[in-house]
Amino acid sequence: MANAIDQTRRMLSLVTYLRERPGARISDVARAFGISEAELIGDLDVLPMCGTSFRGGDLLDIDTDGERIWWHNVDDVAQPLRLAADEATALLVAARAVATLPGLREGDRQALLRATAKLEAAAGEAARGSARLSVTFEAEGSVFADVDRAIAERRRLRISYYSPGRDAVTEREVDPIRLFTVGHTYFEAWCRLSEDRRTFRLDRVAEIELLDEPADPPPVELRDLSQGLVQPSADDPEVVLEVGPAGRWVAEYYDHDHAEELPQGGLRITLRAADPLGLRRLALRLGADGRVVAPPELAASARQAAEAALAGYSEQREP
Amino acid sequence: MAIAKAERLMNLALCLMNTTRPLSKRELRASIEAYREMEGGSEEAFNRMFERDKDDLRELGLIIETAESLDDEVGYLARRDRNRLPEVALDAEEAAALGLAARVWQQARLAEAASGALHKLRAAGVPFETEGAGSLGALEPHIPVHEAAFEPLMLAARDRRPVTFDYRKATAARPEQRHVEPWALECWRGHWYLAGWDRDRKAGRVFRLSRITGRVRTGSGKFTADVPDHVDVRETVARWGGEGATATARIRLRRGAGYPLRAKALDLRPVDAEWDELEIPYGRGLDARLVEFGPDVVVLAPAELRADVVDRLRAVAQGPTSEPAKG
Repeated sequence: MANAIDQTRRMLSLVTYLRERPGARISDVARAFGISEAELIGDLDVLPMCGTSFRGGDLLDIDTDGERIWWHNVDDVAQPLRLAADEATALLVAARAVATLPGLREGDRQALLRATAKLEAAAGEAARGSARLSVTFEAEGSVFADVDRAIAERRRLRISYYSPGRDAVTEREVDPIRLFTVGHTYFEAWCRLSEDRRTFRLDRVAEIELLDEPADPPPVELRDLSQGLVQPSADDPEVVLEVGPAGRWVAEYYDHDHAEELPQGGLRITLRAADPLGLRRLALRLGADGRVVAPPELAASARQAAEAALAGYSEQREP
Repeated sequence: MAIAKAERLMNLALCLMNTTRPLSKRELRASIEAYREMEGGSEEAFNRMFERDKDDLRELGLIIETAESLDDEVGYLARRDRNRLPEVALDAEEAAALGLAARVWQQARLAEAASGALHKLRAAGVPFETEGAGSLGALEPHIPVHEAAFEPLMLAARDRRPVTFDYRKATAARPEQRHVEPWALECWRGHWYLAGWDRDRKAGRVFRLSRITGRVRTGSGKFTADVPDHVDVRETVARWGGEGATATARIRLRRGAGYPLRAKALDLRPVDAEWDELEIPYGRGLDARLVEFGPDVVVLAPAELRADVVDRLRAVAQGPTSEPAKG
């Protein structure tokens, strides 16, 4: 019951919190603790069963009329508790990572750095292990600044964007919607070229220009990014690859439906792609480490590209 | 009805915090309802439960000391002075920035720990806005954690305990068992890596978490090698990725193609209407990256890179063989 630990953690903070706030509203307290009112009522059912001291001590006399919370025998049992090692680590590592983001407003960064220093001091020994965990966000500084500004000022951007699938840089105008970081930093925008929503990776933006024209993205519902960036549709054609041990990295870098183990340490990877020919580069890169099982057009396209490339070597002697 | 665990833990925590003298296990058992309820249960069952409860409270940050109790038994107490959060004077701006940073974790344990920390700070009077308010500029940072190995490795690194896991190197056919003293975990470009001392190889090593297969087992012993002051995971990973190359290569690149190669070129000059000649950094894995560009790249030098690229192209041109792919 991992839940009991979290509930205990919360209730210990709750008593300290309630001590300072006689008659606190249920709705306010639930919001402050990020829990539902039902969860809070659950906590309030437990607290009066808790004694404040050894043998004969009073129980916490905390009750509620369903709207407000009263604690009738407030005493100093409820001092603010020191941070646990995991708590200090989770907060410090997150704060240090966020502080390195180039897109952060300078004022926010300074505030975060000050908060981090104070937190380190207050956590004392509990902060020691936080150096054993670190996170670096990648975000291309100057591109970031322009996108950030375009969003803040609701302006259109002109970008030259590199599409690895087609190995081409295309110029397009986009209305940025939001920036987000999942390993790399991306921005989501309404693309005026494709008249559709597109996601752009910052390190693939070759050139960027802030236009005076106002951005005018149609209202779109923001996607839930916790499910992954690429959410292929079930109608997308299936691509099947068989890779040897040296090609197993494909399963780490490409979202796939499934990967079956093959004898000799290989994998049979099934994924979906709106445009399978966009995977030609992958097929070329795999070389002897794998092969395209389906679709046959993709295998043929890679084969033709390799033949054409080899022709370049026979014509072109070492100068 | 059995008393819920949270209620038992609360009672134990309050008891230990509000005593001025160490309390023996016997005294605690007599005074906490949930332990009294176990009347019929064996001494052993109570002891196990008590030990687990103490560990749980320690996970929550409580420092529980042992000392001799009045009746010469081992006694327990959680001193107020040692368990009090020192004053943290954050202004509204600092609190807001910290509150937003706390939301970046997508890993359950760390997300819970971060919000637990905020609850403690809030209870101590730090003026956090209520949840949902504010934003970090236009950015939504998330720290992805998909690897099951993350949590046991994080705990082992925290507690400095050795681990054993099966690890499949990028090019290996089968996983191999590794015995590692975990130093640090680092997330870079969205992937998690572990740096540690490899006991079998007697050297520092970096492991990618997604290549750990099966369970991570945590040993009970101590570290045998010194932990370095500074662990640079990123440098090692960058070297794997062919960054930090010292050599260079010369290639021909079709005009308009290969933007990533152009972006990294040390030198670029047009050859004719169709081709440019580039000098680019030559590090690990460059052959595989160049093959991706198919007929738009021709390697000029060095000869070994040229030969590697031609080999790879031949493998693709020959198409699927009846041989299964080899490593």
